[in-house]
Amino acid sequence: MMKKIAQVTVMAVALILLTGADNSDAARYQKVGSKIMCTCSCGQMLLQCNHVGCPNSGPMVRQLQANIQKFSSDEDVLKWFRDNWGVTAVVEPASHGFELLAWLMPPGALALGFGVIVLVVRNWKRRLVAVGMAGVPIDPQIEAFRSQARRETEI
Amino acid sequence: MPLLGSFCLLFALALALCSFVTGILAARRQDAKGIRLGEIARRAGMASFFAVSGGALALTWAALNNDFSVAYIYHHTNKVLPIPYKIAALWSGQEGSLLFWAWLLAGYGFVLRFRHKVDRKLTAMASIIIAGIQIFFLLIVNFAANPFGIMDTIPTDGAGLNQLLQYPEMVIHPPMLYLGYVGFSVPFAFALGALILRYPGEKWIHITRRWTMVTWLFLTCGIALGSHWAYAVLGWGGYWGWDPVENASLFPWLSGTAFLHSVMMQEKRGMMKIWNVWLIFITFMLTIVGTLLTRSGIISSVHAFAQSSIGEWFWWFLVVVLVVCSYVFFKQRDHLKPENTMESLVSRESSFLFNNLLLLGACFTILCGTFFPILSEWVRGYKINVGPPFYNKVFIPVGLILLFLTAIGPLLAWRKTSMGSIIRNFRVPAILSLLTAIGLIVKGVRPLHDTAQFFSWLTLTMAMMISATIASEFIRGGRVLQGKLGGTIFGGMYHLTRRNTRRYGGYIVHFGVAVLVIGIAGTAFNLEEEQPMALHAKLQVGRYTLVNQSTTQDDTPRYESEAALLDVYKDGQYMGQLAPELRTYKPNDQPDHIVANHSTLQEDLYVVYEGRDSEGSPVIKAHVNRLVAWVWIGVWIVILGTGVALVPNAAQIKSPVTVAEVLSAKQFQPAGVGK
Repeated sequence: MMKKIAQVTVMAVALILLTGADNSDAARYQKVGSKIMCTCSCGQMLLQCNHVGCPNSGPMVRQLQANIQKFSSDEDVLKWFRDNWGVTAVVEPASHGFELLAWLMPPGALALGFGVIVLVVRNWKRRLVAVGMAGVPIDPQIEAFRSQARRETEI
Repeated sequence: MPLLGSFCLLFALALALCSFVTGILAARRQDAKGIRLGEIARRAGMASFFAVSGGALALTWAALNNDFSVAYIYHHTNKVLPIPYKIAALWSGQEGSLLFWAWLLAGYGFVLRFRHKVDRKLTAMASIIIAGIQIFFLLIVNFAANPFGIMDTIPTDGAGLNQLLQYPEMVIHPPMLYLGYVGFSVPFAFALGALILRYPGEKWIHITRRWTMVTWLFLTCGIALGSHWAYAVLGWGGYWGWDPVENASLFPWLSGTAFLHSVMMQEKRGMMKIWNVWLIFITFMLTIVGTLLTRSGIISSVHAFAQSSIGEWFWWFLVVVLVVCSYVFFKQRDHLKPENTMESLVSRESSFLFNNLLLLGACFTILCGTFFPILSEWVRGYKINVGPPFYNKVFIPVGLILLFLTAIGPLLAWRKTSMGSIIRNFRVPAILSLLTAIGLIVKGVRPLHDTAQFFSWLTLTMAMMISATIASEFIRGGRVLQGKLGGTIFGGMYHLTRRNTRRYGGYIVHFGVAVLVIGIAGTAFNLEEEQPMALHAKLQVGRYTLVNQSTTQDDTPRYESEAALLDVYKDGQYMGQLAPELRTYKPNDQPDHIVANHSTLQEDLYVVYEGRDSEGSPVIKAHVNRLVAWVWIGVWIVILGTGVALVPNAAQIKSPVTVAEVLSAKQFQPAGVGK
């Protein structure tokens, strides 16, 4: 039952994310622009750079608009910026090669941690069964005293 | 005065060394001489606080009296700087901030040594460890970054303080952050001390509980003040930019939050002893990593100080700390055997375990992103930048799962929770959050439109789930006490909170987090417009219309400024005026935006004067930032909740209860009793 619910949830989320994609030029401009940094050393994202007279953000924004029309792939637009403004212009690692590592490390660590927790808990449970502590029938009177102790010490 | 300051710092180093060495000698002896040596170590440690205070006072005195013979004072102040900023100069530069750090550490050490009667033996060991950390920082301020360096010639005026730091919040943001960073030294010292001494029980946790919470609170306030400063001063319309130094403050905050949760498992069930010890070790090391990031210049950031060789000192200190911690742990690890094991994956323990996994996962994610440019430079020979798009993609899913755990965690009981109990207690929060999700769509939120709106919709739903869970916990518990003591349900809730301040204070903190994430979720609906505005020109952003009525200029001893006076209309109705300003600070000709912000619970109208275009018209950028006020309200609730959790519990009222009464009252029990 739980497995089915999980499957349905994952499918629903995937469906929502996939159908939610907006591929208009304006949306692509915002999406790709949010991955590029102004190179005037102001430390701001290209679309947020608010330096009046900034020597870089104006030309970069115009090039972004032109490249959105020119290239059908967002990755190609980003590559163009890497080639022409330096690798530091793009602040989102690519999804291939060495840069893929940046994307893989966090979920990898989480998955590893999750796996370790499940293994440790299973091991503990197995040990409990082995020493005969699990599966002991619950004495309602003892449980009632436990409840009383909890009530008096916690609330 | 510089000479006196230098002497004070050298004397403080000598005292810290004395405290460290005599402390170790005392710990090795059990006789009367050992007790005398211990007392010498304690008093030397306390005296070191006064010596470092002398150094800090000397530097502040030099700043207040425009003593530009001191290089640090020349570089960070000038004659026209207002007094509060002259005092703030103490922590505005590399050398001064390290002195400030050493002073705070000496202050914490002073309190710890003063309160030694709590547990003389353990405090003596913790005092040795604190003295060791003091020695490191005092070595730096004496030999690597001395704030009392002298100029070759005495200039007539100073270079002035960085204009971005000339803001009231900046006077208190760094001290708060440093109080948070430095404060983790105390639980670290107690944890390491308890492990060295093979101390029985969880006494070190009981002693450091309040220290850790206060430290965490300082760090939270420091981070929040920094965000508010960025929002009000930097003029880009946001409050969090995933800057490496911002990230650095999150490292110890996240691991410290994990520690505050997991430590409860050790107190309640004697579990996770190894985990807790390493968690506090890691938290302390992360505070040093954060300092390393700010001081060394290894990563470029708007916050970082200049490139310097001081980073090497911190690397070596980190290595020493890691070696000491690892050695002590491997030598004493048999002392950390758990007294209990986990019985079920559906229990309070497992929720803490997963909460820890996610908090540390979030910390690791930020750590990866922050250090990836360095890693890529080592491997590929060039830096690959990692910015907000990366963090938003990786961090948001982790954050959402954490929110879900925050919602269901309080409903889980210790040891084991039946599915029936979860369904019974989770029914109302689940229905309310479902109604919220539907209500948001009805109100115009389009989760299918784009990813940002989808995550925002999910976050708002989760925030409702957390709030409903917490409310149901308060109502259920309040009812039980109302029945027992009489009065109203609110009276019952008050007594409930007083009797277990830690648990219910914690719930208030969780509620604060829910309110805070509502504010963050608003980001998906932000709007912005920018245009040159000649006289009487109009700018439309969302439902607001701005009309330029006039521009003004001013010239003060500190800066020149230009401002636009804008009439603001909402849906055609006049609301008042806003006056965004651009200041140019004189010593360095550096620009600074003074943002005009009209804030309501629903949204902020955030207006920036960017300068003039080629035709001389002022360029105005207007943002409509949704729900930002909720972020600051959430922070206040978190502070309130932590304050409640710090209050000692009221005495229990004991009344005899029969088993039959207990069984009949069981259905009214709050879920997850025992947190």
